[in-house]
Amino acid sequence: MERNKSKPIVAAILFVFLLAMSFSIHPAGKPSETKMDDFFIAHGQEETGSNNIVAAIVFDYRGMDTLVEASVLFAAATGVFIALGGGKK
Amino acid sequence: MNKGLSPIVKNVAAVALVPITVFGLYVIAHGHLTPGGGFPGGAIIATMTALLLISFGTSWVKAIGKERLSMAESLGLVGFVGLAIMGIGKSFFNNFLVGQGLFFGNAVAFGPNPGWLGTAGLIPLMNMAVGLEVFAAISLIAITMFTAEVSK
Amino acid sequence: MIFESIQVILLVGIVASAFFALKNTDLVASAIFLAATSLLLSTEFYLLQAPDVAIAEAAIGAGLSTAIFIVAITKTERWENGKK
Repeated sequence: MERNKSKPIVAAILFVFLLAMSFSIHPAGKPSETKMDDFFIAHGQEETGSNNIVAAIVFDYRGMDTLVEASVLFAAATGVFIALGGGKK
Repeated sequence: MNKGLSPIVKNVAAVALVPITVFGLYVIAHGHLTPGGGFPGGAIIATMTALLLISFGTSWVKAIGKERLSMAESLGLVGFVGLAIMGIGKSFFNNFLVGQGLFFGNAVAFGPNPGWLGTAGLIPLMNMAVGLEVFAAISLIAITMFTAEVSK
Repeated sequence: MIFESIQVILLVGIVASAFFALKNTDLVASAIFLAATSLLLSTEFYLLQAPDVAIAEAAIGAGLSTAIFIVAITKTERWENGKK
């Protein structure tokens, strides 16, 4: 009973807290530090030869992230394969 | 063994099959020129697998074989890592093909340009490897979930 | 001005379809509402000039996850808490 009564209060406090935190970081649409973005936009096409800057960042500058992301998908497929009886009975 | 849905659904799925696959291959192949790339393209082709599973049932799964799909998944991931290691003379994920004039290594025109498929060095090859891996992994998840024997 | 009104309509639609997905006791309807949420979200991404994310969201959120949810529902139960 006590826990059910305190649930909305906790939710309201968390909501106000997160809203205040999200407004206190920085104004929306204005990144605080833009040196990295400017470098990628200025030199990305020249260095990687790719017209799509997003592909240049995902597969070249930040390739390790993509590698680990693909490994996560591999692990997910392996987990489903093990859990749902895809192997020998 | 699931027999699938009605003939109307089967015919519509058969008509929609080829455009979905071709669009996914287009998204993968043009990943370095237009928005998209290996992950969304592989997911689009894997949508085709889910469509086939739901409309046609599980009778065609044996012909494909889960082992082959699993092998394709491993091949994609190994190819991705191998392409990354091939440039280890300078650094991991070094794009050594760009500007060499070889396969996918043609020089690009800087600034806004219409785009040409044979540019960007390793990025299209990595897109293909990741597309194969994502397609095989999600197809394997869907097929395994659909053919699993679950006691209610 | 018209750009902001379109975005407000899209965001209200996202929140409303997420709420209906949460409140529905028919799990198939919940999966369809989640697909609608993903579709509106991908439109929002496209309007905010992130077409890469929009393509990934439309393919995975609206296509694949709906199919996997439907498969999981057919393997278990359609109605929440076993009631109709």
